[in-house]
Amino acid sequence: MKIKKFIFLFLIPCIILGHKINIFATVEGNKIYTQSYASDGGKIKGGTIEVYDKAGNKILTGITDSLGEFSFNIPKKDDLKIVVIGGMGHRAETIISAQDLPEIDNPKLEKTQFKPKKESVQSPVITNVEIDTIVIKRLIEDAFDRKFHSVIKLIAEQKKERVRFTDIIGGIGYIFGIIGIFAYFMGKKKNV
Amino acid sequence: MHIAEGVLSAPVLIGGATVAIAGTAIGLKKIEYQDMPKIAVLSSAFFVASLIHIPVGPTSAHLILNGLCGIILGWASFPALLLGLFLQAVLFQFGGLTALGVNTATMATSAVFCFLFFKGLLKSPNKLLNFAGGFLSGFAGVFIAGLLVALSLSLSGEVFIPVAKMIVIVHIPVMIIEGILTGFVILFLHRVKPELLGFFHQ
Repeated sequence: MKIKKFIFLFLIPCIILGHKINIFATVEGNKIYTQSYASDGGKIKGGTIEVYDKAGNKILTGITDSLGEFSFNIPKKDDLKIVVIGGMGHRAETIISAQDLPEIDNPKLEKTQFKPKKESVQSPVITNVEIDTIVIKRLIEDAFDRKFHSVIKLIAEQKKERVRFTDIIGGIGYIFGIIGIFAYFMGKKKNV
Repeated sequence: MHIAEGVLSAPVLIGGATVAIAGTAIGLKKIEYQDMPKIAVLSSAFFVASLIHIPVGPTSAHLILNGLCGIILGWASFPALLLGLFLQAVLFQFGGLTALGVNTATMATSAVFCFLFFKGLLKSPNKLLNFAGGFLSGFAGVFIAGLLVALSLSLSGEVFIPVAKMIVIVHIPVMIIEGILTGFVILFLHRVKPELLGFFHQ
């Protein structure tokens, strides 16, 4: 019976019970990667991702995978608001500003990558060099994106906001302080 | 249990805030000078309890302790939980500041409910009944708060039954643990400090 219940719990698509969820988004090449997690570090599986532009129009939606990740091609160069909805009243958002986004490349570039060398035998040398620079730049960027993806993920992992001990103690201090002030004024009234 | 910023619609937020203000006003009126330390201790306990996670399947749920606050503080649960929730929102970003009213309303209303319905059991000389009163408070505190959260979510667009079911199911372990915990706390207080349970002068 107990096992059944446990399996059932595994089947519920997105249970997020930390009281807070977070989303971390990074731009890599032409893509935006997002990671969503709960305040206790748990990944948000099956959460809904919604992307809005500056005007507030919903551009795209998606579902996070089993690692709480979701990535999408940059739809347009604009301030993008990325919202994750975890159900049961949980929601978080982050904004990627337009200046952090690259110019959207034309997709044709990809297809012509290695062709120019042979085709441009008759064409002037300068064009050949120009195209080569674009291709090389593109290749380097791709390689960097691949190499740095893991590094960026690591940074995202470390940026996770967790509850700090000092905040807990501070909070208790605040409670006693505030109630102490109340008590002070109540006591004063009583004595008068 | 904490509802985040931007989930609820404005009427629900305003409704929750109204309930919270009314409850807090009643609570503040009923507080006597000698109740202050008790309120401080339970407000702190509530503040910290949300950080204690209980693993449930793939994720975890956290303690709430609103039933315990309710049965000991009565109507003073409203100001106590409001203070705790405010600090949780400011320091840990648990629940949005705009949703503070709704969060207070859901958790403190169920706390007061526990107080009104189960306080009779605590007065009994029978230890078993005392424990039962504590258990029911801890259990119902979470259960009713869950239903109220589901209600406020459903008023903002979600469908009530599935949301309520999901919240209640994932909180079953929390309800049981809080029930047992509150039961033992009540037994312990009866033995060593019965005057703490003396919020019955209202």
